[in-house]
Amino acid sequence: MNPENAIEVRDVRKYFKVYLDKGHMLRERVIHFSRNKYEKREVLKGISFDVKKGESVGLIGKNGCGKSTTLKMLTKILRPNAGTIETKGRVCSLIELGAGFHPDMSGRENIYINASIFGIKAKEVDRRLNDIIRFSELEDFIDNPVRTYSSGMYMRLAFSVAINVDADILLIDEILAVGDNAFQTKCFNKLKSLKDQGTTIVIVSHALGQVEKLCDKAVWIEKGLIRKIGPARKVCSEYLDVMEKERIARAEVEYRMLMEEANTVAAGAADEEEQEKIQARVRSGSYRTLSFQCGPDARREGSGEVRFTSINVYNSRGDKTLDFNINDSLIIEMEYESDLDGALGNFSVNFTRSDWVYCYGTTSKLQTGEFIPLGKKGRVRFEIDALKLLADKYYIDLRIHGTGKDVYDCIFSMFEIRIINPEDEPKESGIVMMDCSWKVEE
Amino acid sequence: MVQRMKEIYEYRDMIYSLVRRELRGRYQKSVLGMLWTFINPFFQILIYTLVFTLIFPSSIENYYIYLMTGIIPWTFFSEALGQGAGSIVGNADMTKKIYFPREVLTISSVTAKFVNMLLGFIVIFIFLIFSPVGISAHILFLPVIFIAEYMIALGFTLMFASITVYLRDMEYIVNVLLMAWIWGTPIMYDISLVPAPLQKILLLNPMTSVIVSYHDLLYYHALPGVLTVIMLYVVGLVLLLLGETVFVRLEGNFAEEL
Repeated sequence: MNPENAIEVRDVRKYFKVYLDKGHMLRERVIHFSRNKYEKREVLKGISFDVKKGESVGLIGKNGCGKSTTLKMLTKILRPNAGTIETKGRVCSLIELGAGFHPDMSGRENIYINASIFGIKAKEVDRRLNDIIRFSELEDFIDNPVRTYSSGMYMRLAFSVAINVDADILLIDEILAVGDNAFQTKCFNKLKSLKDQGTTIVIVSHALGQVEKLCDKAVWIEKGLIRKIGPARKVCSEYLDVMEKERIARAEVEYRMLMEEANTVAAGAADEEEQEKIQARVRSGSYRTLSFQCGPDARREGSGEVRFTSINVYNSRGDKTLDFNINDSLIIEMEYESDLDGALGNFSVNFTRSDWVYCYGTTSKLQTGEFIPLGKKGRVRFEIDALKLLADKYYIDLRIHGTGKDVYDCIFSMFEIRIINPEDEPKESGIVMMDCSWKVEE
Repeated sequence: MVQRMKEIYEYRDMIYSLVRRELRGRYQKSVLGMLWTFINPFFQILIYTLVFTLIFPSSIENYYIYLMTGIIPWTFFSEALGQGAGSIVGNADMTKKIYFPREVLTISSVTAKFVNMLLGFIVIFIFLIFSPVGISAHILFLPVIFIAEYMIALGFTLMFASITVYLRDMEYIVNVLLMAWIWGTPIMYDISLVPAPLQKILLLNPMTSVIVSYHDLLYYHALPGVLTVIMLYVVGLVLLLLGETVFVRLEGNFAEEL
């Protein structure tokens, strides 16, 4: 083992036996002796990586890709079927919090039990007891039985024990969701300070923001293989890109299925009751038919006399996408149809940040000074030459108004776009970018 | 194996706190609390005494003393096996999520029962003092038998606990086995009353020698035979090694099976 490394994983493979017909009972085992067949499901197909001492590494990937299995093998709970894993120093895993807690015993006593399961001597707990209690913020309740705790208090106590263990290697599985916001921040800061003190950290998380902030390196596991290892920022953003593309592809398939269903209804293939059901679903999901890019929280309102038939978002290269860099151009192409002959219309676009801060909005009438004469069918393009919003997620609302306050069609949160700062370190904070400069004058 | 023993020893604090949890946690909510550890054997003995002096008088003199010196150690053995068999399955959550030597769970379970037995012996002593049988210096020799019985019980339990993970019936099989086992051990009767050929079979049961030794020390005020004690330790060690070997062989897949 390289002395610089805290963890070395070499060509590790792991499969689970999935019993097609599992019987734990003797009777079942005997009767179905011949049927005790199982499938080998390969979870890890040979992964290798190193973690240097003091480094923090994030394991990312989709559900079921093998991240947690990897972590469990690092803790020695599971054993690899092939390959080797070596670790140096004391390993502490924050996988299961509150293991061995006895509900009828006091918080203080449970600290000792819980700590001993992590392999910590009672003497050591004596020394750290005050730190643990202070960190958990449960001073007033520490001598009450744990069963009287709220679930948040319970988790806080458990987390405090786990994090106050002097470990050389800390393994964390998706547990930074402990307690309220303030406590979460505290945990996160504690992890950071542990990292600064030289603790090696391996973390499995779907909260990529946390991984980016805490980790030096990210390992992206896909279908049991390592797809990419590199700086956390880079790997995370690449991972997000791919996930977004997959989501769009999936949405496209769902959209096609919906259309097929709608066609079946039109063809009258299904009976009446079924037809109604399908129609209801088509109506409620009708915004979906506008674009497969549509956001998960979209809502449609309006009279429907004039309505969108298709909406797409493009970048400057003409690709359909929802990811943009700051200063990129953004194009929204809207197609509509109208039941009203010769009516006038006004199109509006609004941007709202993910935390519901309204950021920007405009209408065609305000900008051009004219209403748009609506034909039976038509197409309107909205173009932003340079996006000045800072990196975050934004929702786009789209509307067709008449000349007054009447709304023909309105889709809230039609798109959920992500604006990314291509630079490593953002230079601004807030909502928008402004052209500005600094001059020092003598 | 030595490496493994060392590791288990490293986790002695965990064993300590799990035993404590089981002993204290069990009666935590009750009014009498830990006192129940004494009340239970006390009433157990009292009831046997009443039944066997008033209802079924036995040919054995001071039969209730004879009985209690056997039944308390037997209760330890039977609870250790009966409940210890489920010690891994019952702690599935911990086993699946945290690393520690798995034996710790079984050892803690058996040790908690063992401590209960030791407390039960205090009750036995009290009864002995007030009975015509009396108490003698032979009790100083008791720890030798305690340790032997502990080893035998732990050996069996390690085996059963690890098998139970793969075959849940084991837990119930063990309990049926124990039901028969109690009659295959001279607790309620004296071994000399058993026909000679059957006696040999009974002696194959390691618990026979254990109970006979307790009787010798407490009831007959005699030292058990040297050979018996040596045999007990040989059997104890063999069972312990066998139990541990089976456990280690099966332990690898615990987290997946549970």
